[in-house]
Amino acid sequence: MDFELDDDQQAIMEAVGSLLAQRAGAARAVELGREGKYDGELEAALDEAGFLDVALADETGMLEAVLVTEAVAAAAGVAAVGEASIVAPGLLGERPAGAVAVVCAGAGELVRFAAHARTLLVDRGDTASRVDLSPVANESVRSNFMVPVARVDVDSLEGESLGTGSGATLRRYWRLAIAAECAGLMSAALDLTVAYTKERRQFGRAIGSFQALQHRLAYCKVAVEATRWLTYEAAASDADAEKTALAAAYAADAAQQLFVETHQITGAMGYTREHDLHVFSMRLRPLMLALGGASAHARAATGARWLDGAG
Amino acid sequence: MEFEWSEEDRSYRAELRAFIEESLPDDWEEISKGGPGSDAQAKFSREFCAKMAERGWLTQHWPVELGGQGASPWRHAIVGEEMWTVGEPRGQQYMSVNWVGPTILEFGTEEQKDVHVSRIVRGDSLWCQGFSEPEAGSDLAALRTLAIRDGDDYVVNGSKIWTSYVEYADFCFLLVRTDPESKGRHGITVLLCPVDLPGIELREIPAVIGDRYFHEVFFDDVRVPVSCRLGEEGGGWPIVTFSLAFERVGAARYARASFTLDAIAEEAKRLGRLSDPVVQEKLGRARSRVEAARLLNYRIIDLRVHGSPPTADTNLARVAGTQAESAVSELALEIFGSEALAYGHFAEVYFRLAMWSGVATGTTEVNLNLVASRMLGLPRE
Ligand SMILES: Cc1cc2nc3c(=O)[nH]c(=O)nc-3n(C[C@H](O)[C@H](O)[C@H](O)COP(=O)(O)OP(=O)(O)OC[C@H]3O[C@@H](n4cnc5c(N)ncnc54)[C@H](O)[C@@H]3O)c2cc1C
Repeated sequence: MDFELDDDQQAIMEAVGSLLAQRAGAARAVELGREGKYDGELEAALDEAGFLDVALADETGMLEAVLVTEAVAAAAGVAAVGEASIVAPGLLGERPAGAVAVVCAGAGELVRFAAHARTLLVDRGDTASRVDLSPVANESVRSNFMVPVARVDVDSLEGESLGTGSGATLRRYWRLAIAAECAGLMSAALDLTVAYTKERRQFGRAIGSFQALQHRLAYCKVAVEATRWLTYEAAASDADAEKTALAAAYAADAAQQLFVETHQITGAMGYTREHDLHVFSMRLRPLMLALGGASAHARAATGARWLDGAG
Repeated sequence: MEFEWSEEDRSYRAELRAFIEESLPDDWEEISKGGPGSDAQAKFSREFCAKMAERGWLTQHWPVELGGQGASPWRHAIVGEEMWTVGEPRGQQYMSVNWVGPTILEFGTEEQKDVHVSRIVRGDSLWCQGFSEPEAGSDLAALRTLAIRDGDDYVVNGSKIWTSYVEYADFCFLLVRTDPESKGRHGITVLLCPVDLPGIELREIPAVIGDRYFHEVFFDDVRVPVSCRLGEEGGGWPIVTFSLAFERVGAARYARASFTLDAIAEEAKRLGRLSDPVVQEKLGRARSRVEAARLLNYRIIDLRVHGSPPTADTNLARVAGTQAESAVSELALEIFGSEALAYGHFAEVYFRLAMWSGVATGTTEVNLNLVASRMLGLPRE
């Protein structure tokens, strides 16, 4: 047991941190968000520096992929990093070129990043399939949730089936990616809110000095830290079915809590596009819906632990 | 106790529903997706309110001599419910009829009643609320916009923030400080300020929740005639308290929540998910919250009918309302799923509306503080 980052992990985090400081950030996300654009440049830079391939590299693995995904989310990077660096390698054993999107068949047609993705991974229940999207133009749909969204006609795209049991594999890595991205977004949203409550004064004092707010912010901190450690352990366990389901279930509940509390505590300012909270908070919402959300993740965890292992 | 609507109230509701159905255009959902401040909805609301006014329905709860019909507040509550259910086609007019009008009726001079009340009754004056300032949100009494008397005018300098719907407003219900030495609740004065006066500048603050919800309004040596003052100089605070008591319940937000929840259940049924016990449980819980909000709101209307002065029951009702909206909006996203990611989708529009329920017109925390001190008798922090 050792909960500290080792030297290599530390080096990766520093390197990805300085790349993100240059190329990502809330201001850029706001600009891209205005027209529902994808950050192809950020993706290319992450790719070139090898950050999207850490899951399959010799010295690193899923844990490092989770750390990278979390960091990109915390820096508001508008790229499908969890999909590319966690889900694709986990399911395919390789990372296809270009952006990756993931969808659950029969659960609606609006999919994150689907207008930009070249590969679509489809959860079809028992099996998963891999669809080459290069010849397909998915129609972008205007969204307020700070990631580009497009309409995909999943039924018309058959793709290559990855065999019995591949559906469960896809879900394990997808849950891991969801939890990692939630962790990054939530911690950024909380940091912004805490900083705001230290500055914002009402009734002659910083609003952060009201205990009515302090306890709720402290609860949020509990939720963020717990999400992170559940996610890291799940990653280190080779994306174990139960652990990934628990991490995602916890993360989706925590995301709801963080969304509500950070907005409530930031007051009117948090509903403007001139404050960065929405960049992180709004983006939690599509993640909370993915794969049936907290309820479904929780049932998967129960399935994995106490039933027949289904999930 | 009696929980049934009277025969007349029931038939009025039916009549109103028929009117709404016939008045709303086919593309109403499209028109209303940007919210009441959006260009499309603001334009529509003017026409719609004129039609309501023709029937005397905007202000039927006002006294007959002032253009009302002397109807009970319950009648006005029915209007509020039916309007909110369909997405408030009155737009920002709900402010005029819910709280601006009643406040002018209570505190205005005969001349002010003449000027404003008849226009509100006719549905052709639009109001906005100039309360909040950058440094005065929950702590409203910290407001600093100054109005210094100069002959027959006040000269106003300062700025307001978050002002909704000001773009299309004719008047602003403006709070200013007339005594520069004063602090807190003393020295605050209300001005019924035309928004087209020279020296007033607007800036829209882009919002996540819809169009034209937020503006900054800058006052640079704006001359407002003294005749625009409501009540005494320095006597603004009791007027504010009075108006907020009306504002906080005037909007039947629970009615929209109820309508939305029915639509969610309908969708769940269509998807074959209504037999799922988890979905059943969530729907039932949300429904109980909505009904709780409705009853706590009715309780206040009833207190008003019985002539009770405003109490912290209004704060209680607001908190229950926000809880209901929150439960419904979570479920809206969950059941409509990824379709709700599209801007303007039914569930997305509701989600955006519910998102600010606990902040606008006084935050949940402020409401809870008032419940704690006034109802529970707890000492202040
Ligand atoms: C959609 C919308 C429309 C609006 N329209 C208008 C308008 O037309 N005109 C207008 O004048 N204003 C308008 N407002 C402003 C609204 O009245 C304020 O947002 C509200 O009063 C809260 O102020 P604030 O946003 O500055 O938050 P703050 O007062 O800064 O509060 C931030 C947080 O601190 C908490 N807090 C503050 N004091 C305490 C305390 N004593 N104890 C515990 N917690 C506390 C709050 O509850 C909140 O969670 C609008 C707001 C919204 C969201």
